Amino acid sequence: MITAKKKTGLIFFPAYDWEISPSHPERQERLLYTQDQVMEEGVLDIEGITEFKAGLATEKDICRAHFCVPDVESRITPSHNVSAGGCIEAARLVMDGAVDNAFALVRPPGHHAMRVVHGARGFCNINIEAVMIEWVRKNYPHIGKIAVVDTDCHHGDGTQDVYWHDPNVLYISLHQDGRTLYPGSGFPEEFGGPNALGRNLNVPLPPKTSDEGMLYVMEHFVMPVLDEFNPDLIINSAGQDNHYSDPITNMSFTAGGYARLNEMLGPHICVLEGGYSIEAALPYVNTGIILALAGVDYSYIREPDLNPERIKEDPRIIDYIKQLTDTLLDLWNSRDNYEVRGEEIVRRSRNIFYDTDGISENQQESVRVCTDCPGAYKIDSSASTGYHIMAVHIPWGACPRCREQGRAWFDKPGRHNYSAVYLQDMDNDEYTVKIL
Amino acid sequence: MIVGIDIGGTHTDAVCIRGRNIIATAKIVTGDDLVQTIRDAIGALSINYAGIRRTVLSTTLSTNAITEKKYAPAGMIVSAGPGIDPRRYFFTDDFHLVRGAIDHRGREYVPIDPGEVARVADGLKKKGITGVGVVSKFSVRNPSHETSISSLIEKDFDHVSLGHTLSGNLNFPRRIHTTFFNTAVMPVQKRFVQSVRQALAELGIRSPLFFLKADGGTFSDSAADRHPVETILSGPAASMMGGLALCDDLDTTTLMLDIGGTTTDIGVLIKGIPILEPKGVDIGGYKTLVRGLKVMSVGAGGDSRVSLSGQDIRVGPLRDGPPACMGGPSPTPMDALAVLGQLPQGDREKAVRAIAPIAGQLGQDISEVSRRIVSIMVGVIRERAREFIDEVNRYPVYTIFEMLHPEVVEPDRVMAIGGPAELLSPFIEESFDMRCMVPDHAMVANALGAALARTTRQITLTADTQLRRMICPELGMDEKISPTMSMDELKKRGEQALRDNASRLGILDKGEISILEEQVFNIVRGFSTTGKNMRLKLQTKPGVIDEWGEA
Repeated sequence: MITAKKKTGLIFFPAYDWEISPSHPERQERLLYTQDQVMEEGVLDIEGITEFKAGLATEKDICRAHFCVPDVESRITPSHNVSAGGCIEAARLVMDGAVDNAFALVRPPGHHAMRVVHGARGFCNINIEAVMIEWVRKNYPHIGKIAVVDTDCHHGDGTQDVYWHDPNVLYISLHQDGRTLYPGSGFPEEFGGPNALGRNLNVPLPPKTSDEGMLYVMEHFVMPVLDEFNPDLIINSAGQDNHYSDPITNMSFTAGGYARLNEMLGPHICVLEGGYSIEAALPYVNTGIILALAGVDYSYIREPDLNPERIKEDPRIIDYIKQLTDTLLDLWNSRDNYEVRGEEIVRRSRNIFYDTDGISENQQESVRVCTDCPGAYKIDSSASTGYHIMAVHIPWGACPRCREQGRAWFDKPGRHNYSAVYLQDMDNDEYTVKIL
Repeated sequence: MIVGIDIGGTHTDAVCIRGRNIIATAKIVTGDDLVQTIRDAIGALSINYAGIRRTVLSTTLSTNAITEKKYAPAGMIVSAGPGIDPRRYFFTDDFHLVRGAIDHRGREYVPIDPGEVARVADGLKKKGITGVGVVSKFSVRNPSHETSISSLIEKDFDHVSLGHTLSGNLNFPRRIHTTFFNTAVMPVQKRFVQSVRQALAELGIRSPLFFLKADGGTFSDSAADRHPVETILSGPAASMMGGLALCDDLDTTTLMLDIGGTTTDIGVLIKGIPILEPKGVDIGGYKTLVRGLKVMSVGAGGDSRVSLSGQDIRVGPLRDGPPACMGGPSPTPMDALAVLGQLPQGDREKAVRAIAPIAGQLGQDISEVSRRIVSIMVGVIRERAREFIDEVNRYPVYTIFEMLHPEVVEPDRVMAIGGPAELLSPFIEESFDMRCMVPDHAMVANALGAALARTTRQITLTADTQLRRMICPELGMDEKISPTMSMDELKKRGEQALRDNASRLGILDKGEISILEEQVFNIVRGFSTTGKNMRLKLQTKPGVIDEWGEA
């Protein structure tokens, strides 16, 4: 009989009846072999590890994190309600003290979904972590600061986007360098919006990085930064495609490395993201993460074909990572030296491509520079689907001036041929769409 | 005629039926010698033995052997490969870990080492061990390590149990426990079966002998010889099946209560089908793969000790002995019923004397206190029944369809059996706010359940068309298949194999085959589908034999 040191909740939702297409990496049997491994290892019989049923995220839960165009219903399938609902259940278990930590082993994933949603990007329609985080903030107002550590191999450009302007959510992404992999972003200079500088930290790792390099970054960068930020809640976007066997990436991480990473990080909630080596990686990585969360010995969890020598990184990769870590630490330590001067409104313009659905979007974003609150912002978004909308976000704890500005943007959108104007008023939990 | 005997901890019930008629019933006190108890119970039926064509036993033999650790030392040879350290599941020095690794699809990564196996077997033999269990991880996906180890050692031992034959379900630690218990209780069970056969022969009974299993089905004596572990916890299964046999309306969701002296067993029948434990039953603090009915035992029965904790009346969870009105040491719910004039037997004066001190301390009328005692007892059962139902409704589901269309279990009536059932039924109706039926013959429902339970068998088939392999662990099938095999073909093969096996097991009636689980997944390499991974679980449906249904 094995007893866990920490009470760990598992929400397992493999969605055996959902796929993007039968041979797509995001297909029905993605978690089948994981389930087999977890069952065969008797993980759920370990005293202290308990499986719980997923839930259903509501439309309002989704509206807290997203502007879905034209509406939530048309942008998602029930599978997304369940995968986001599974995350919410995981958070509920932790927040209510039923467990010490929880793992939402759910699909479909979400970390490529941005605040405005015209369709699916990188297999993601809605950002399941963001839906969960906003649900937590709504229901547990004492939660002030939240950290998301994204260990998926792909840069979580969606989570970065959702929290770009939020100084209370620290997003750290460790991923394969964007010059070599989708989505092509995730560089150190992407450092957060004008009101949230230093709250978005990217660690682009060279291809072939293995356990040593990844754990070096964890120990020398991620952990010190977290210690300083001192979040109330730590979330791991637990993508598993850094694994050496993953078919669509080029990294060399192992199941043991993922377990060690989670042991170090000690997240309250893990959320499965990507990871498409469904037979050779996921069964072992997921077992390792569950055991690490529960504080159970994982040292014998190992891929049957593992050859540590073969995947060990070149010493030059380690040298590069050490330099990168030093640079990132300098950047983090100097975060308060940067400030936006003389501007009341800061604008940015960008193009976003939805690879899964083949949609192009152009965004003009305007944020009010504010020292009293996270700052209201608006997004003018036009997509190749023909939708041209404007979306206004009034953040949690908005100051009176930002609230006033946000309301003014929403009430008087100006003459831009918008088909609709959207509002997120977080403190009032109000999410309105005005069809024009 | 069919004879059913349920040997319980305190009482042994026997029943003899012909068609839908109950010809004779008997209830005797269980003695130390179970074979003699069986003889006595059959004797008490006063029937003509020549007409018996089926005898079914539900015994506590293997349950007690395991919980009291009264079994022979058994050896275990376990191969695991990477994963949670299997030595954490070893509980005697006779467990041995050997080389060998198989993955979740049944692919071999590390072969077994025959020399090592021989050395381990030699050591066990030198210690005088006669039975060995063999378990490998993922043996239900590829039994070859278990079968090869077995063929290397079987000549050296009286019996060898293989993990994959005991259950097709995944769960390596449970497979270790299950196989160990099966190996350990086998000599006990074999001796018992032999003695029972002899005793029946001496009485002139030549009918086939069956044993009741934890899942509410039966199997033949020879199957029970090989898989004695499946007879654990047959007592609660007997009562659930008895309730099912006596159920007049199968379209309902029925909450079953078997109210005994010490405990009450709670179960649920959904349209005549009892709910099973999803992973397997627990015994003696260990989790097993033994398929069994989901039954919750509550420490509240007719003889439970009634005590005061401050101003609160407590019922159970312990029993000190018979009720005070029957000469026992402590007040009980039965005494409360006696005070209320509801108990036909017993000495009411003694009951009054037992309950009076409680009423005195509470400063309340003794009848009022007695009513409260009974309703508290029933309330305890109701609370636990609620937990039972909530737990079932919280079972995780893995498809969007099930998420969006949940099947909520909500009983619409109660069926109570066991000694105090009849007397408690009005209190149950009031407390549960549901109709409570107490069938005729509720006193011998367990024996009736044993007599009428169908022979059951569950098999698991896994077909991997890329590896061109089909496995059915329970039947020891490991066959090469065509890369184009379809689910329909797999079903046909499975049904045929199950039917063949069922007829060998001596299934009396047609034994309708039903599908418990059916899943087909693609195996993809690169971006193209290279095969199918198909999983199928078939069973002969548990239930009561057809003859009883044909009223």
